[in-house]
Amino acid sequence: MSSKMKRNLSTLGRVLLLAAYLLAVILPIYWMVATSLKPHTEIIDAQNLTYIPQNPTTENYEQLFSMYNYGSMVKNSVIISGSTAIVITLLSILSGYAFARYSFKGKGTILLFFLITQMIPGILVIIPLYLIFANAGLINTRFSLFIYYLVVNLPFCAITMRSFFERIPYTLEEAAYVDGCTKWQGLFKIILPIMFPGIVAVFVFAFIGSWNELIAGTIFISTSDMWTVPVGLKSLIGKYDVKWGVLMAGGVLALLPTAIMFAVMQRFVVEGLTSGAVKG
Amino acid sequence: MLWQIALYILLVVILFAAGFRLLRKHEKKNRQLQISKKLEPYLFIMPAFLLLLLAFGYPLVNSVLMSFQNYKLIEPGKVYFNNFANFKNLFSDRDIGLIMRNSFVYVIASVGMQFLLGLILSLALKKKFRGRGVYQAIVFLPWAFSAFVIGLMFRWSFNGEYGVVNDLLIKLGLITEKIAWLGTPGLSLLVVILAMIWMGVPFFAIMYLAALQSIPEDVYEAADIDGCGAVRRFFAITFPYIKPTVIMTLLLRTIWVFNSFDLIVVITGGGPANHSQTLPSYMYTRAFSGYDFGLASALGVVLMVILAVYAVIFLQVTKYNKAGDF
Repeated sequence: MSSKMKRNLSTLGRVLLLAAYLLAVILPIYWMVATSLKPHTEIIDAQNLTYIPQNPTTENYEQLFSMYNYGSMVKNSVIISGSTAIVITLLSILSGYAFARYSFKGKGTILLFFLITQMIPGILVIIPLYLIFANAGLINTRFSLFIYYLVVNLPFCAITMRSFFERIPYTLEEAAYVDGCTKWQGLFKIILPIMFPGIVAVFVFAFIGSWNELIAGTIFISTSDMWTVPVGLKSLIGKYDVKWGVLMAGGVLALLPTAIMFAVMQRFVVEGLTSGAVKG
Repeated sequence: MLWQIALYILLVVILFAAGFRLLRKHEKKNRQLQISKKLEPYLFIMPAFLLLLLAFGYPLVNSVLMSFQNYKLIEPGKVYFNNFANFKNLFSDRDIGLIMRNSFVYVIASVGMQFLLGLILSLALKKKFRGRGVYQAIVFLPWAFSAFVIGLMFRWSFNGEYGVVNDLLIKLGLITEKIAWLGTPGLSLLVVILAMIWMGVPFFAIMYLAALQSIPEDVYEAADIDGCGAVRRFFAITFPYIKPTVIMTLLLRTIWVFNSFDLIVVITGGGPANHSQTLPSYMYTRAFSGYDFGLASALGVVLMVILAVYAVIFLQVTKYNKAGDF
């Protein structure tokens, strides 16, 4: 076999592989979108499963808002995830800066502590927290989820922020200090503007982490007016009757914001993910 | 309790503000002052550190205490220490062996496949081609997706009666009867594992792609000149270069996969009859459908012991890497 043929063959193999994987990713998503656009009668017609919606309709989406109060779930999710992400971003800037720019006693231990919190199973923290929140009357409030999402997402975000800081050469700050900048001025006027993409990436991490969470939501929240999107959608799964069309419509809408955020910020999110997790 | 939390937050804010006031004063007096310089990083880290210490420390201690108590939420007046009764109950649970085995199979199978597929995908993506950016944006998407929605997707696709998977398999002539995927022991866990793989491949691919792109091109050129074959090239150059990343991601991912059970809750609920239940999901079930917090905490302690042993190995291995043995 000539080397040219060999190369062509390996290119062909690569293309086939990439195509197969693309298909594996797209098909489940397609199936969810297709189901969400079918009327109920078409969905439960098991004899003639249609691969393309025959009578595309938006009735599932309409029902989601009119019958199941999806608007309120989205509102709760946005409030909780948004506030969590803002606070996490601020705290991560502070601790990330300290981790990156100072060497101090106990730094290794604190970093290790941050890393270890990432290994503790969430459910282990949720049960005692549930008791605390129950005593404090915080069950069924957005505040309970805010606290939980804050502490579970913070360590990773702080470590990631540290690596974003480390990428900025210290000489930049030094130059600013020589010119008479104070520490705060240096941080706010020089470093943070350069780091803006990294800051947005951390915000995205925190937001996605809170937006997607189900388990703590089902435990801390039981009244329907406080349901977040995953908790509310889960309640649509009845024992005998599942409204698959509505459920799929809800799923599509739940994925949209995170998918858009990820697509727009992909480069920085990927950078953060690779540096933060490996460096630990 | 609410006021305690408010007080705590207030305290942190005040301490933080006071600390900086002090620093400012010192700085004005003497810019070179050692103490202020030394305190600065602690002030920056304090809010996050205290928050985490409180939020993780207290619950963990509490879990250990509860594991030795008769603590049932439905009998609020009857909380007392019962020595090892919870642990005895736990280990005499006739399903515990099955659940242990499930956890093991679930972690090994899904992490193993995620790793393999992620590595292959990253190798295929290493060379630039037209549309690579768009391709990546699509196939990495599952990373940002909610496990809950992914669970819904798989639960619906593998639905015994209306599911698309059965329909496809019948049309392809691979099966003649519809399979009750989620109602059959073994198969229900398989569906969970498939969903987990689908969700986790992007993480590995992203990490390995970054590692691959940091390998200097001239190493490969030299190998080409020496007439190195593709297989040899992978094992002699590529793999050694990305080995630290491989170890790190495998170890971390194992913990995350072990701990996460939202897919199980959504797809099977642990069924049929605990055949897709893992240790953390069982803990969730025992705590919030039976409200036996004592037993659940005992399970939690077992979980902690397993993870601690694992973490020690993990830290040993990573230190080995940081020592620059590479």
